[in-house]
Amino acid sequence: MIPLETIREKLGTAEPWVESRGTHWLNPGTKSVRELAAAMNAAGARFVTITAYELPGKEGFRLEYHWDLEGRLLGFPFQIAGNSIESIWDLCEAADWIEREVHEGFVIDFTGRAYEPLMLRPGDKPGVNLREAPAQDEPASGQQGQKEVAK
Amino acid sequence: MSYKIPMGPYHPGLEEPYKLDMICEGETVKDAELNIGFNFRGIEHLAETRNYFQVIALMERVCGICSFIHTLTLCQSMEKLAGLEPPPRAKYIRVVMAELERLHSHVLWAGIASKLMGFKTMFMTCFALREKVMDVLQAISGNRVNYSMNCVGGVNRDVEDPLALVPLIDELEREMMRTVIPIFTTSSTARSRCAGIGILTHDKAISCAVVGPTARASGVPQDLRRDAPYAAYEEMQFEVPVEQAGDVRARLFVRALEIMESCRILRQALAKMPSGEISSAPEKLVFQSGTATSRVEAPRGEVLYSVSWKENSRNPARIHVRTPTYANMPAIRWMVRGARLADTPLIQASIDPCYSCTDR
Repeated sequence: MIPLETIREKLGTAEPWVESRGTHWLNPGTKSVRELAAAMNAAGARFVTITAYELPGKEGFRLEYHWDLEGRLLGFPFQIAGNSIESIWDLCEAADWIEREVHEGFVIDFTGRAYEPLMLRPGDKPGVNLREAPAQDEPASGQQGQKEVAK
Repeated sequence: MSYKIPMGPYHPGLEEPYKLDMICEGETVKDAELNIGFNFRGIEHLAETRNYFQVIALMERVCGICSFIHTLTLCQSMEKLAGLEPPPRAKYIRVVMAELERLHSHVLWAGIASKLMGFKTMFMTCFALREKVMDVLQAISGNRVNYSMNCVGGVNRDVEDPLALVPLIDELEREMMRTVIPIFTTSSTARSRCAGIGILTHDKAISCAVVGPTARASGVPQDLRRDAPYAAYEEMQFEVPVEQAGDVRARLFVRALEIMESCRILRQALAKMPSGEISSAPEKLVFQSGTATSRVEAPRGEVLYSVSWKENSRNPARIHVRTPTYANMPAIRWMVRGARLADTPLIQASIDPCYSCTDR
C-alpha cells in the first residue's frame, strides 16, 4: 500500500493527514488544485468527485476534492473567497462532468474551460436551487426564496 | 462524408431519456457527444428541505433499481454524524438486502442486454428469474422496489428466519447455472454480438475513473466491498471477478460471475446472521456539526454520499450524491468510437446506465 505520507511530502504541505469519519483529510495549504491533481495522478489515485458548499455570508465556497487511493478515501478542502478556481479537467478527464455540475449549481467558475450548453439544465441559468439567493449588489445568478424548509 | 445521427432522448434500447449524438462515416461511428439532464429533479436541493426521516424516503427515490443502496449510503453517513454504530444483526441484514439488490439489478440488465442482442427468449428467462429475486426482497421488506429497510442506526425490519431463505437462494443459483450463465458465456449469439465491441481500454478506464463492473471488465480490480468494507462485508468470503478484454462480452462475464459471488455472500450472511437488535437508534437523534462521507459498492459501481449537518438542525445542510453511472457514462464516448452504428445501443446498455441516478 502506498503510504499517505509520500503524497504529503510530494505536495510539500506542513499539516499532517487527519482521519475523520472514514475520510483521510489533508489541507493542501498554498498548493493549487492543479498541483494536487498532478500529484494524485502520479500516485495512481482515482478521482471520485467534488463536493461544493456555500459558506455563510459572503465568505465564498468550500470545495472538497475526493480521490480514492487503494480503497482509502482522500479529501482535500479548498476554500475560495470569490467564485473561481482553476479547472483540472485537462489533467483529470474524470472531473469534467462534476465541474460542469458544480458550475450549474453554484455559479463557480472553473477557469480554463467552457460550460455551454449546460449539462443538467440546458436552456436554464446556473445558480438556481443550490446557491443561496445573491445579495442585492451582486449580479443576479440565482433565484430568491428557494430554501424552504419542510415542517 | 460524415453525418450526425442523434440517438435519443427517446431511446431505442433503454426506457430512460438521454441523447447520444454520433458523428458517423458510413456505418462507423467516429465520435459521439452525450447529452443528459432530461430528467433533472433537483434532489440534492430537495434534500436540504427535508428532515432526517423524510430525507431517507426522498433519497430512496434517486433510483428505482438500487434504492436500498442509496439509503444505505445515506444512513451510513448520517450514522457517522450521529455517532451511532448499527448492531451486528442489522449489518448482516444490510448485506443480504444489498446482495439481493445486486442480483436483481444484474439479472434485469442481463434481460435488457438479451433483448438488445435480439435474444428474446433469454430476455423472458431473465425476467422470470428476476421475479424470483424480487419475491425474496418482498418477503423480507414487504416491498418490491422501494424497500424502506434502512433507518439511521440499523434497519426497520428483521429477517425472522434467515435459514428459510437459503433454499430460495439455492434455487436461484441453480437456475442461473442452468440457463443464464452458460448461455451468456458459451452461446454463439452472445459471442457474435458482444465479443470485441465497445472496447474500453485499461488506460482509458483509469483516466475516465470508471467504477463497478465497467471498471472490472477493463482489468481494474476495484470493489469497495473488499477494498473498504462496510456493513458486514469484512466477515464475508468472496472473489472479485476481473476481466481484461474491456469489451461488452467482458462486462457480461463480470456480471455473470458476480451473480454467483452474490449467491455465495448471501448464503454466508444468512447462515451466520447473529441474533440481537436490529437498530441502535435512540428515540431522538442528535447530529453533530460537520461533514461525513460514505461509499458503497452498488450493482453499477461506487455510490458516494457527502452529508453536511448543522448541530440542532432537523434538516441536512447539504447532501451531495455521486452515482456510478455519472462516473461511467462519459466513457461511452470512447466505447462507441469505431463501432458499427447497429452495435451502439448494446454498447450503451453494457455499462448498465441509470439516467434516474445520473440526473438526480
